[in-house]
Amino acid sequence: MSVVHLDDLDAIELPDGFVWRPVRRHFDIRAFGVNAYTAREAGGQIVEEHTEGSLGHEEIYLVLRGRARFTVDGNDHELGPGQLVFVRDPELRRGAVALDADTAVLALGGKPGVAHTVSAWEAMFAAVPASRAEDWDEAIRIHQEALEEQPEHGALLYNLACMEARGGRRLDALLHLQRAVQLEPKWAEYASKDSDFAAIRSEPGFPGA
Amino acid sequence: MTGYEIVSIDELDQYASSDGTLVLSPLRRRIGFQPAGVNVWVGRKAGDRVIEEHTQSDGQEELYVVLRGAARFDLGEDSFDVTVGGFVHAPGGLFRGAIALADDTRVLAVGAKAEEAYVPSAWEDFYLAFAYLRGGDEAAGRAAMNEALEREPDDWRGSYNAACFEALAGNTDAAFERLQEALERNPRDLLPYLGSDTDLDVLRGDPRFAELTR
Repeated sequence: MSVVHLDDLDAIELPDGFVWRPVRRHFDIRAFGVNAYTAREAGGQIVEEHTEGSLGHEEIYLVLRGRARFTVDGNDHELGPGQLVFVRDPELRRGAVALDADTAVLALGGKPGVAHTVSAWEAMFAAVPASRAEDWDEAIRIHQEALEEQPEHGALLYNLACMEARGGRRLDALLHLQRAVQLEPKWAEYASKDSDFAAIRSEPGFPGA
Repeated sequence: MTGYEIVSIDELDQYASSDGTLVLSPLRRRIGFQPAGVNVWVGRKAGDRVIEEHTQSDGQEELYVVLRGAARFDLGEDSFDVTVGGFVHAPGGLFRGAIALADDTRVLAVGAKAEEAYVPSAWEDFYLAFAYLRGGDEAAGRAAMNEALEREPDDWRGSYNAACFEALAGNTDAAFERLQEALERNPRDLLPYLGSDTDLDVLRGDPRFAELTR
């Protein structure tokens, strides 16, 4: 379908309390990153505090409705409909809190000078409802689909391993975790404390074991 | 240039197209956004065209977001009424266009090609060059025109647009030089425009015009 309203998009509530509306994923847009976020209540986080340092993205955050207080590089700005903040510097920390219930913010971004690559975090966010429902097969499927495009993505492999461990696929979990650690050794330390791996932590070959 | 910037769509300049049917608020140029083309189109009155009827023959995919008011979008053979918070996705080859259904409708348009780094298209510069010229600022128009020509230096349409610009600015000799350049680059596509484009009216009485079309 080529037309959709914000309120008819999937509403995926994330651990920080904001609701992700996956615009890019809905249309399978390949040329740029675009998503929307809504907040159920005033005072709720609507754009998570983060930087774009690892992705190198320039980002535009545009208020579609309601009001939000953006904090960018330590400075607060209250914005209403039709107002936007363009964060040119990927290293700047940014985030926003809704000032009205049902505020909506559009986020648009990409890395200058290169063809757009779908951000791996989208698959991780998309898998949240399945994980909550302990539908591990679906959560695994979403990660596998993303890995087809980015097979060497450490965070995706690590998260896939988490889902596989929770879903009882012990060998797959171990192999994918090992691959994640090969690509990015930091995942060994994460895995050592991650309760998702409780069932396989004593297996031979568990990183750091 | 700081690391971030706050902008309101109401602060953006508005430029009407030469026939007055479209109004552009150029956001990408205003903020220097690099990953994709991004602009705001304005329908000042209900019934005004807010998105030009077109396809993207270059394969660029586009997303339209209604920011204020409402608009009736035509997509291929279908028609949709879209309100604030509505998204319309148009792959490259799909015909699209929209009419405002309310006064002061604003539509955000985002576009880029998949699997390619985004490069700004010259059309924005051409559009603004003529808008500046009509507004009496030939110097700003010429600067925008030069930017366009630098982006696509070998395209006959650049030479043709420059010819129109010079004709409208009253620089007849420069206009003929540009027309000759366009003709050498692509006579087949250029000639149909020569007979009907009113931008060139000031040139038609000049013997050089007849010479070009002979």
